[in-house]
Amino acid sequence: MKITVRLQINGAEARFEVDSTERLVDTLREKAGLTGTKVGCGIGECGACSVLLDGKVVSACLVLTAQVDGAKVATVEGLGKAGELSDLQGAFVREGAIQCGYCTPGMLMAAEAILARYRRPTTEQIRKGISGNLCRCTGYAKIVSAIRKTAGRRAIQRSGR
Amino acid sequence: MKSEGGPKKQDGKQRRKRRRAHVMVAFIKLTLLEAVTEFLWSDGPESLLIPGGSDILVGPRPFTDKHILIDISQVTELKKVTVGAGGVLSVGVGLTHQEIVDHPVIRRRARLLQLACGRVGSIQIRNRGTLGGNLGNASPAGDSIPALACLDARVVVAGRSRRREFDLLSFFTGPGETALQVDEVIESVQIPEREGRSVAFFKKAGQRRGMCCSKASVALLARRRSPKSLSDVRVALGAVAPTVLRIPEVEQVLEGRRLTPAVIREAAEACSRAANPIDDIRSTADYRRQVVGALLTEGLFEIADHMQLLEQRRRSAKRRGRRR
Ligand code: FES
Ligand code: FES
Repeated sequence: MKITVRLQINGAEARFEVDSTERLVDTLREKAGLTGTKVGCGIGECGACSVLLDGKVVSACLVLTAQVDGAKVATVEGLGKAGELSDLQGAFVREGAIQCGYCTPGMLMAAEAILARYRRPTTEQIRKGISGNLCRCTGYAKIVSAIRKTAGRRAIQRSGR
Repeated sequence: MKSEGGPKKQDGKQRRKRRRAHVMVAFIKLTLLEAVTEFLWSDGPESLLIPGGSDILVGPRPFTDKHILIDISQVTELKKVTVGAGGVLSVGVGLTHQEIVDHPVIRRRARLLQLACGRVGSIQIRNRGTLGGNLGNASPAGDSIPALACLDARVVVAGRSRRREFDLLSFFTGPGETALQVDEVIESVQIPEREGRSVAFFKKAGQRRGMCCSKASVALLARRRSPKSLSDVRVALGAVAPTVLRIPEVEQVLEGRRLTPAVIREAAEACSRAANPIDDIRSTADYRRQVVGALLTEGLFEIADHMQLLEQRRRSAKRRGRRR
């Protein structure tokens, strides 16, 4: 059964005809052409498919698109502007928090969820916040420090110094 | 996934994927509880309730074209949290695990439920999966169940123009099986008010801390009777029997006794003896039996430590008071 679904993806309205059992990650990758979001395991284990759904981080491989009609979806493509990295992405690059990069889009979205929840997250809060995202390359330490530094920068920006 | 579509040799997994893509499954979103029960009444047997959907895409349930998916994620009646007569806390099962973890009223009245929901899956799963899904799946490894068992929760189910209530544990009739009838939906859990100061923990063992299904879990809830001992002790185990169990043997060992290392050891041994686990894909019976004892030990030592700290603080406050 085909269902019409409206989504706001990275701020832009879009309409899709989807199958009732279609996964959000497939809608994003195949229909919206947003292949930044990756599929690692397809069963909710790895977090590579993490996106923000109405501001909350979810595994897009475990979401039925038909269920989320009207939702706001944020993917890695929405971070930064054309040709320009976001502050968080820049910090990932500077800290060396990327190796093969397969986990990175999901990791960035999980990180944005942490930064939205806590203004100055503790290391523990960061580690907990990315604990649903597997990275087989970096060993996580650099990812944690990239997130912490971004939090610091944003805090300074907020206070207008 | 497109690239996989060609006429290749298919193994079972691929075939399932293809079926998922091509079978026509009906889908309907309902927003009123009454509409859901009416719908189930007429089309029940083929319907699949989808609250968050986080399990349906993993689970061993390949869809067939007879299935009707009923999206109940927008049923607001299932998201209510209220405190009723006699202080009974009612928690709508449509709340996600994370919504439960963040809820201030639940924090005050049923901290143990938060501890357990906070250990479900990963943050990605907790943002999507619901309490109702956890109960409806009726997995012996469902993390919310031992916690609710300790809290003496009751389950309210809504059917077409009727409601039924169950003792939590009598609601589960076997692994993956509940007392729900075709036209019924789980509506809420009712948690009675507790007097006195509670202590509680929820411990689970799994593959990895960030995201896992329990190999074994232990929930404990008790009242601090004196500075050193507990009363009204409840202990429940997950994933070590066909359904979640309360363990009176362990509760009796702990009741009113001082939490000494010897008593804790005795309780852990009773706990391992009472477990009745199996070998399965996640773990072995032997490991599970040992690890429930270890989890209980860890939790009890933490509580003993915590109580000692409180007692020290109380004493030094008293001393300071006297000096003044
Ligand atoms: S692809 Fe979704 S969690 Fe791994
Ligand atoms: S950079 Fe390779 S998996 Fe994280």
